[in-house]
Amino acid sequence: MIDTIIIDGLAFTLPMFIMAIGGIFSEKSGITNLALEGLQGFGAFCGALIAVLITRSSGSHGSIPFYASFLAAVLGGMLYAMVHVILCIRFRANQVISGVVINILAMALTAFLTKRINEFAFNARSDKFVLETSVRFTVPGLSEIPVLGAVFTRVYPFEVLIILVAAVTWYVMYRTTYGLHLRACGDNPHAADAAGINVDRVRTIAVVLSGGLSAIGGMSYAYSISACFSPDIYLGYGYLAIAALIFGNWSIMPTLGACLLFGFARSAGSAIIQRLGMPSTFNDLVRILPYVLTLVLLIFFSKDNKSPRALGEIYDKGKR
Amino acid sequence: MKKLIVRLLGGEKRQMLRISVFAIAVSLIVASLIFIVIGKNPISAYGNLLQGSGLMPKRSYAGKQNMFTDFMSFLDALTPMIFASLAVAVALKGGMFNIGVSGMMLAGGFFASVSVGMSELAAPLAKPIVIIIGITAGALVGALIGWLKYRFNINEVVSSIMLNYILMYIFTFFINSYYIDPISRQSTPVSEMSRLSLKAVRTSGLKLDIPLAFPLAILTAVYIRFFMERTTAGFEIKAVGLSRRAAGYAGINISRSIIKTMVISGALAGLAGVTYFCGYMGSIQPGVVPGMGFNAIAVALLGNNDPIGCIFASFLITILSKGAIYLSSKQGVDIEIADLITAVILIFAACGEFIRRFVSRIEAEDILEGGEQKA
Repeated sequence: MIDTIIIDGLAFTLPMFIMAIGGIFSEKSGITNLALEGLQGFGAFCGALIAVLITRSSGSHGSIPFYASFLAAVLGGMLYAMVHVILCIRFRANQVISGVVINILAMALTAFLTKRINEFAFNARSDKFVLETSVRFTVPGLSEIPVLGAVFTRVYPFEVLIILVAAVTWYVMYRTTYGLHLRACGDNPHAADAAGINVDRVRTIAVVLSGGLSAIGGMSYAYSISACFSPDIYLGYGYLAIAALIFGNWSIMPTLGACLLFGFARSAGSAIIQRLGMPSTFNDLVRILPYVLTLVLLIFFSKDNKSPRALGEIYDKGKR
Repeated sequence: MKKLIVRLLGGEKRQMLRISVFAIAVSLIVASLIFIVIGKNPISAYGNLLQGSGLMPKRSYAGKQNMFTDFMSFLDALTPMIFASLAVAVALKGGMFNIGVSGMMLAGGFFASVSVGMSELAAPLAKPIVIIIGITAGALVGALIGWLKYRFNINEVVSSIMLNYILMYIFTFFINSYYIDPISRQSTPVSEMSRLSLKAVRTSGLKLDIPLAFPLAILTAVYIRFFMERTTAGFEIKAVGLSRRAAGYAGINISRSIIKTMVISGALAGLAGVTYFCGYMGSIQPGVVPGMGFNAIAVALLGNNDPIGCIFASFLITILSKGAIYLSSKQGVDIEIADLITAVILIFAACGEFIRRFVSRIEAEDILEGGEQKA
């Protein structure tokens, strides 16, 4: 039972973690990003579309459509993040409202386009793109270790991908000049500007990156949870990721801890329900665990949290 | 071109109203392009939207139906929308972004449905109690969000979204376990005595839906406007919304004002919930967060957070959502088109502040240039 909790927990945790990193990039640069939910959904839509197109046109299976879909998802997520950039940086819209608007647009747009494309291109009346089930691998040897071996058992390829990308983002955030500039823009954009940093450009790159990272998360969920893209992908995990990053105090490693907590709470709950042989309706009660946990944890940790100081403020050069 | 923009959108008088209308007009043009792309005639599509809402006569009607019955059913859908948008608008005025309207609606609708809705209480007693339960349930959820905000500094957007899902899953569990209708896969329909809309009433050869709460919605909008503009409590809410720090220096109790804002907003959302689930729909679909709570954000933005503006904006958005049913049956356009157009309207409405600044900048340039020419 502990094995399933760890295996399922990690498969749920890591996509949320990469989304939360996306959120951290955007928010550390000073742009509130509630759009993670929409970004992951739109990314997953683009990725699933490409995967379906490749399988249909060339008949190739397995890793080619799999990795192509992640590439497409990242590009789609980055492109869609430009809407947030345009609304928040160019048009100076309220960042909270912009984020919510982007989520609503993503839901409407992807649901509409999925139906349309299915009907026109594939002659099917369906509101989903069905993906192949992702391969899962087990590392021989390491998986034999008691308890910890579960980490290396039935791993989705995207979990490895996410860990690699996360390591790179950590390096970018804390060890490069760009990361330093990014954090400066979130804390004191005027000082950053005076030091010769182009605040709008740094923020634009940060938000676009957050789009790409969220899209990796969304695509992973499309593969792991349902093996398809459908409007059901908007389950609020993007918002959970935001809660995780607030709980993790806008730093990457503590945020990983928060995500692990959510993931294991969820998988442990389902495992217990199965063990006790309760009816499937009880699954609905288990699903609230991550959400309740978020609220409870926020109660304890929100007070002394230090958000980036200029978070959510529209940057106005002339303002003192 | 610039002159035209300034003439249309410049000046102080009713500027926000004109910008809202401008946002709608641009969105409708964008939507027309969408219709053209998918190969439909936009004019007939808009016609279908109006026909479906009972604002334009259809070619033919089924028995005991005419434009008036369509319009009454449109009002039935409009009523909860007005309440929901008022909930968002009041919260925004108080500096809170209430995205939890959906959860509050579910709370009001669920508790009213399973208590009075399942009882044999007589109509004169049942209907007011349904409304009271709706108000109370919504207000309690609102109070919780407000309390979390001021006591623990929890961002209201995050907490209200968490609550949306928590409430939805809890109610789904109870509906699936105890109140499921095996045929419709919805909750057991509420009793006719407690329902806030009279359905299929036969009068003068017609089958009418009568939304009993519609007058209440209009009265509430008028009262909320009076409350915000003419009472101390309303002034305090607005002051806190404009600047928490300034309001604090002026001696306003900020925490109390935040909770008050969310209680009022929640009560309105609860009203939306009972008029939707115990009125328009008559039952609750398990496992779904009602989209009306999110569309209400669009409506409130479009109505510029003004209660009366909310009525008109609700009218417009309801034409889209209600008319889309007829449009999709008539032309085979997916029903999601309504959400898509709403989202496009939202995007342009969100840029209202930018348009205002942009116009005033052109105005300023004009004045400057005029001055130079004279000199």
